[in-house]
Amino acid sequence: MAINDNRKETIRAKPAEKFNFFHDERVRSVFYQILTALVVGWVAWFLISNTSGNLEKRGLSFGLDFLDVEAPFDPDFKLISFAVGEDTYSRIFLIGILNTLYVSFLAIVGTTFLGFFVGIMRLSKNWLVSNVALAYVEVIRNIPLLIQIIFWYSVIYAVLPRIKQSLDLSMGAELVMLNIRGLYVPWPVAGDLLWMTFVALAVAAIAAYIYRNWARKRQDKTGENIPTFLPIIAMLIIFPGLVFLTTGSPMTWDVPKIDGFNFTGGASLPRAFIALLAALIFYHSAYLAEAVRAGVQSVNKGQTEAALAIGLRQNQVLKKIVIPQAMPAIVPPMISLWMDVVKNSSLATAIGFADLVAVYMQTSLNTAGHAVEIVGMTMGFYMFVSLVISFFLNIYNKRVQLVER
Amino acid sequence: MEYVRTKDVPTRKPPMNESSLLGWLKINLFDTLFSSVLTVLVLTAIFFAVKALWIWGVSDGVWVAETRRECFKISLDGACWAGVFAWLDNIFYGRYPRDELWRVNLGGVLLVIWMLPLWLPRVRGKILVGLSVVALYPFLAGYLFSGGEKGIFMQVMIAAAIVGLAANIANAVTGYFNHGSLSNFIIRKIGKSEAHEKQQRNILLAILLFALAVAFIWQMSWTEENVTWTKWGGLFLTFVISGIGIAAALPGGIFLALGRRSKLPVVRVLSTAFIELFRSVPLITVLFMATTMFPLFVPESFQLNKLVQVIIAVCLFYACYLAETVRAGLQAIPKGQYEGAHTIGLGYWGTMGLIIMPQALKHMIPNIVGTFINLLKSTTLVSVIGLFDILNILRAISKDTPWIGLHKEPLVFGAILFFIICFAMSKYSRHLEAKLATGHRN
Repeated sequence: MAINDNRKETIRAKPAEKFNFFHDERVRSVFYQILTALVVGWVAWFLISNTSGNLEKRGLSFGLDFLDVEAPFDPDFKLISFAVGEDTYSRIFLIGILNTLYVSFLAIVGTTFLGFFVGIMRLSKNWLVSNVALAYVEVIRNIPLLIQIIFWYSVIYAVLPRIKQSLDLSMGAELVMLNIRGLYVPWPVAGDLLWMTFVALAVAAIAAYIYRNWARKRQDKTGENIPTFLPIIAMLIIFPGLVFLTTGSPMTWDVPKIDGFNFTGGASLPRAFIALLAALIFYHSAYLAEAVRAGVQSVNKGQTEAALAIGLRQNQVLKKIVIPQAMPAIVPPMISLWMDVVKNSSLATAIGFADLVAVYMQTSLNTAGHAVEIVGMTMGFYMFVSLVISFFLNIYNKRVQLVER
Repeated sequence: MEYVRTKDVPTRKPPMNESSLLGWLKINLFDTLFSSVLTVLVLTAIFFAVKALWIWGVSDGVWVAETRRECFKISLDGACWAGVFAWLDNIFYGRYPRDELWRVNLGGVLLVIWMLPLWLPRVRGKILVGLSVVALYPFLAGYLFSGGEKGIFMQVMIAAAIVGLAANIANAVTGYFNHGSLSNFIIRKIGKSEAHEKQQRNILLAILLFALAVAFIWQMSWTEENVTWTKWGGLFLTFVISGIGIAAALPGGIFLALGRRSKLPVVRVLSTAFIELFRSVPLITVLFMATTMFPLFVPESFQLNKLVQVIIAVCLFYACYLAETVRAGLQAIPKGQYEGAHTIGLGYWGTMGLIIMPQALKHMIPNIVGTFINLLKSTTLVSVIGLFDILNILRAISKDTPWIGLHKEPLVFGAILFFIICFAMSKYSRHLEAKLATGHRN
């Protein structure tokens, strides 16, 4: 009893916390938040009211009606058809998006290959090889991308021959022609039954996937190592190939031919496109090489040694021990680098390739006005791409984290 | 029976790779057959590449000529550097009036003088020096570069900048000759070192005010011819944009990073949205936005010129990138540091300013400088929206009548210039990080 009383006494003796309105943390936090919201809200209101006022004063309207107006110009490069005076700005927007995605996709593929190649060179035990890779990385990274793009653009102009003396890259077959205007390649024209080949390819892919999973499970169970790489490649080539041949090769090639001062037929990649692609690949591969090097070096040396100790061969160590552990460190920077490729492809504007920024934010903005809408749509596209990419990155990170020790 | 050795064991040779060039070669270049083949292949490739570059750039290069035609007469395949040299003034200063070039040079020299004390180990008050560079130098340089009429605010800031510069030099001198900081030195010289702290402060304040008044009166008679921003160009303009960008984006980035890690939901959401918005779009779209939409954003009576629009865009954009860099640094600080700071009774700003930021920033130096390098490289984008920065000048050479069609050489020159600057920056940042490392990195 006495003990209990004593405790009560102590509790009572403790000074009651004084509530001070100005020094209470909760009150302060609410106050600061309201203050921030008010300031940001006021800035937003200021900008919006100014913008609408200015638009009104200049007799401009706000709205997306201009998308249905015919665009008075023809983009230099397009993957879908465009008719001047018939097609509208919405189609221009679409052409721009497709061009940006097209060049970005090719650049991402090229960057990934070259970046891994240079990264592996960096890791070589050969002093000369690793230092050549280092020099490449340092030189490329310390020169602005825009200078590199314009450099390739003008080098192509200075080095490549005129149309009549086009370089033949297909050894005299006159299929792949390179000249000052760009690269001309034959383009496949689909026949009637080509869809069957695609179906066959899809079937082969599904079969390959099932086979790989079966092989993995089997190895987990029995330890038997079943080859997957070559059988899968064979499956993907042989089955669709057979279907293609049995349906009577339903595909012809549209070959580029000189017609007066230009080539007709086939597919062409203009000079600006090639310069942009080359510069994007070189520039980002240097960054990717560093990411690859850092990722591989982040794998503890003991892992390699232990793997060798239990009798794995050198290439097995790489394939089964080092790379699986290095990938979680390589993939996130690599994916954000892919995002950079998409963003940096907008530098096409400087050399006149018709990417989204050049064709929509520049030319369309100059002809149609509507700055707010056009800037908003263009930025919205890049934000959308970035959201999609970071969505996949998050999924990957979650999967990797589960696997991690 | 003898178990004790009477003769010395002959000393063994040191391992091969440490002793001789041959050993090093064997291990690093010719370890295996594959490695040897690689070495030979790479050496041949390097040989031919260097040879081709040497012939193009140096042995066949033309250094003195009047026109590109003359270049061709001397050497058809060599580089025509003469064109670059003829444009050197333009490359560095743009269309800045040639009689006024000393102003740009003086601005550069003043910046070097102002920042030099940061590298002198004995000088005190380096934080103040750094802050004064960011807060005062831009006003002095701004007037030096642009000239013209001065508003009253500008006049005050110029006076302050002059006093700041003078005090900085004096402080560096006293510090360098081991007399301590400038304020201590003054107090000692006038024999008040025994006086009360408050009295000392008042004396210093009086001296400061007096100096400000003198500087203010002097600067009233200082006028320079007006050079509008449209005449700025070349490397000078590139440095102006990136300099202001760096000076403004770092504090902006720090505040955004703190906002993103804040416990207050409204602050956190707004900062995150702002950062992610700018990070997900290309800089070029932000620049287009600046030139097309900023005029709509502000009242018509208050129109900004293109240079200011561009600088604002660059600052906003790179503040967001720096915010992410700083945030990564903040995340690397262990929780114990926050808790320790709370235990000794520091509030939020005390914790951040005295405990967390100094450690985080120190670790992040290479990454922050990396972002600065990106900023410097990205300022070339302003050429796309029509400012005559170094890249646009380099491209303009090929349109100049005597040098028509001269594309490659100016670009190579620009590339070398950027490489030197950026490479030096990144190497120095590594060195700085190593120098500041305190050895108990977590």
